[in-house]
Amino acid sequence: MTTENSAAAAIAFTRRGFVKMGGALIVSFAIPARLCALASDTQAPSYATPLASWLEIHSDNSIVVRTGRTETGTGMSGYYAQAIAEELRVRPEAISLTMGDTDKTPDGGYSAGFLAGMANVRKVAAYTYRALLKLASNQLGVPIEDLSVTDGIVSGSGKTVSYGQLVAGQLLELTIPVTGALAQPDPTQWVGMTSLDGLAVAGEPPLKPVDQFKVIGTSYPVPGIPDKVIGKTQWSCDVTLPGMLHARMIRPATLGATLVSAGTVDRKQFPNAQVVTKGTLVAVLSPNEFETISAARVVAASTKWTDWSGLPGSDNLTKTLRSYSWGAPAATRGKPEDVAAAFAKSSKTISASYEQPYVRHAPIGPFVAVAEVRSDGNVTIWTHSAQSQGLRARIAYLLGITTDRVVVRWLDHSGQYGRTTLGGDGAEADAAILSQLTGKAVRVQWTLQEDMAWSTVSPAWFSDIKAGLDAKGHIVALHSSFYSPHMFDPRPLGALLAGMPTATSKPGNWIATEWPYDKIQNRLEEAYGRPNLCADTASAGLRGNIMRTPGQRQQNFALEGLLNEAAAAAKADPVAFRLLHTTDQRLIDLLKATAKAAEWEERSSPRKDARKAGTAPVSGRGVCIMIRENAYWVGIAEISVVPDTGMVQVTKFTIGCEPGKIINPRQLGLCMKSGVVMGLSEALKEEVTFDKSKVTSTNWDRYKILTMEEMPEIKIVPLSRDDKDFGGGSEGANAVCAPAVTAAFFDATGIQARRIPLTPSYVTALLKG
Amino acid sequence: MANELTLSVNGVKAVVSAAPRTPLLFVLRNELGLTGPRLGCGMAQCGSCSVLLDGEEIRTCITPVSYAVAKEITTIEGLPAVWAAQKKLSAADAAHTLHPVQQAWIDEQVPQCGYCQSGMMIAAVELLSKNPNPSVAEIKDAFTNKPPSPHLCRCGTYAAIIDAVQRAAKAMNAQAATADRRNLP
Repeated sequence: MTTENSAAAAIAFTRRGFVKMGGALIVSFAIPARLCALASDTQAPSYATPLASWLEIHSDNSIVVRTGRTETGTGMSGYYAQAIAEELRVRPEAISLTMGDTDKTPDGGYSAGFLAGMANVRKVAAYTYRALLKLASNQLGVPIEDLSVTDGIVSGSGKTVSYGQLVAGQLLELTIPVTGALAQPDPTQWVGMTSLDGLAVAGEPPLKPVDQFKVIGTSYPVPGIPDKVIGKTQWSCDVTLPGMLHARMIRPATLGATLVSAGTVDRKQFPNAQVVTKGTLVAVLSPNEFETISAARVVAASTKWTDWSGLPGSDNLTKTLRSYSWGAPAATRGKPEDVAAAFAKSSKTISASYEQPYVRHAPIGPFVAVAEVRSDGNVTIWTHSAQSQGLRARIAYLLGITTDRVVVRWLDHSGQYGRTTLGGDGAEADAAILSQLTGKAVRVQWTLQEDMAWSTVSPAWFSDIKAGLDAKGHIVALHSSFYSPHMFDPRPLGALLAGMPTATSKPGNWIATEWPYDKIQNRLEEAYGRPNLCADTASAGLRGNIMRTPGQRQQNFALEGLLNEAAAAAKADPVAFRLLHTTDQRLIDLLKATAKAAEWEERSSPRKDARKAGTAPVSGRGVCIMIRENAYWVGIAEISVVPDTGMVQVTKFTIGCEPGKIINPRQLGLCMKSGVVMGLSEALKEEVTFDKSKVTSTNWDRYKILTMEEMPEIKIVPLSRDDKDFGGGSEGANAVCAPAVTAAFFDATGIQARRIPLTPSYVTALLKG
Repeated sequence: MANELTLSVNGVKAVVSAAPRTPLLFVLRNELGLTGPRLGCGMAQCGSCSVLLDGEEIRTCITPVSYAVAKEITTIEGLPAVWAAQKKLSAADAAHTLHPVQQAWIDEQVPQCGYCQSGMMIAAVELLSKNPNPSVAEIKDAFTNKPPSPHLCRCGTYAAIIDAVQRAAKAMNAQAATADRRNLP
């Protein structure tokens, strides 16, 4: 009861007035101390923009919920509606969500931060529920403990009242406590930004117990899907404004080139087109999109750039990365002395090095944005960034204005898998700069080639990892050293090329693994960082950025790769070997269930008849695990290899996931399957290639991703638990693919593949040894 | 130079002013406000801009608008009307009936980001018009090997697409059987 009382004490509930028509309960938040301090400091950006409410209940029983987080395609808009409906005891259909618009939503936060977003909306709803009960108790004259609510109807002692009736004729305001702040530029941070998490609802309002859930745990449909299917959705690429100009960017000829002279347009041929430049930023604009495209082709051909070559070429990538001095680790976890002692005592040591080239988010729809910089200096941006408040702060910083003068409006667009989580890397800066220069609203549409050559990338990496084994072959010590260039540099290209201010980002690195093997107590993990490749160019080089399951995807590949190598060294079954190294019952349960579903046969790898030559296919199987954000994952790959051609085909993939309480079973299943497609694509095909001066993998023939025909049979094993809260189920599936596939490759061929992608050329070279 | 061209889009005649070599995609989106087809690769490598031209899938990012003159263009916005006409639905029934492919896309919750999905639905409608009961292998083949390129989905929704195509096939075949019986003398 203490929790309930303190939560109730935290609620400030005021009646703003009475109204003749309608009526509403509006839930907004108490401005935290830090925001008040900022608002009173004339040097700091103010929050003059009225703060949007979080939740509103109207007299017609409709409910509006607002969040700065957005739908990224994995169903969050459905899960949020489910969580709110659960706490409020209403149907999820009664709830409409407003997402991402900075002037209409209160909280900020990055869209991939689902668990934080979920905690927020649940608490908002829980506070509101308590307030509504109090209202109902007063109105019905029935004590709160005698009231119950179903579908928004409060009942008790034979009396009933709906939420709508409770608020009818009144304007009520409920204020709830929050902590945190909205995003701001901060050059001392890795990402050049602070407060990307946005506001968090404070206090601990009593939440509905799991055993009373009616909505969470059902497959509520994702609200935006029907409009996408019938063509009613307005996408960010659909925004048109009066007098708007269509722009295409003319990017430098090479990664490090600077502008010598911009090409010109023949006004007879293109009467409405114009060329605009600023620094190294060059664009062609016209009110007609096809005139823009046609003129841009001509202008690009006659624009002159300085010569530049400074890239190592993708074939020399790992050698080059290894040649750098990486200095001291940017992050370390574990006690070096204990680990050194454990290695000294171990009877055998095995070690390996793993690596991966650059890969990229590669959205199907290249980036697009519309910006309007008005004569009064106020700015509106229409975009699909998954971090509206962060983007807003970045745009304000580059234009040299306060944050409150920028509004970001969010719309659906192509999936981007973390590329805009940090509020950068889109077409918004290009559009804002061009709008400021032309005085018109400007729509910038990147091309695929441009997106594939100039957007941020998930950086190449290598990892040196070793394990100390005891006499039985069990791991008693582990030491990993992970090296990758900057992974947090989403600075917008347009601002960089134009030489305008960007919120600097500081290279670093971090330990991303969540440790699954509690029996391996002596472990030392180190992560080394350094600037982008060719960071000193005007474009800041190959700007590294996070991508779906960032850091952990890479570091887990090395960890699980070594686990499989240690199992092979011990001639142990890889599933059984993992079970020997953990006492975590959630992991044990999921690993056993997934292995059973995959009809896993207990034996060691490689298989007896493994071979590394021949034209006939040979099959293999492999396993890996991961723990991430309170979710457990298991991947089991079955593959077929034709040694002489190097063709690797995944024939079946079984994926297990236990994310605590499953919120939406159908949607989790869809995310597990689609995540496997993305993970296999990375394991088998994806690589950003470049020569000495520019990226060369600039279309779908050169940056290959998995096709429908290459998708294996996928079997899902979802486990739900009522006693472990919620976990992240939408993201992680892609990270349990590569280690399972390379383990299966070893099983089939007896040869360790310590690099992805497993392309035919890499595989044939590897097998020929 | 811009010409006046008469197009037939989703059963409606439309006169547009456009240079004949303008890709059909930009005419549909910017002149006619049909935003179902969307720009992906711009070079017929992905399928997100697909529409039906006389029932055959084309990539509008590389098809000149002049090529579409005197042919029937169908975007996803026009699919319900195509189905209503095929089934001779009354206006009242047609108003609340989606094409079975669209209904299946909703029922199977196919779209994640959804950007590629209008092209996927167009490809599905074309496939089912030629093969009313495709196997999983035939669906994979159609979405991968039919020129000019595979239909790409970066979110990885291929499994849901296969389920939706088979669900739509079942629905269309069931309704076809009902209609056939109705037509018996």
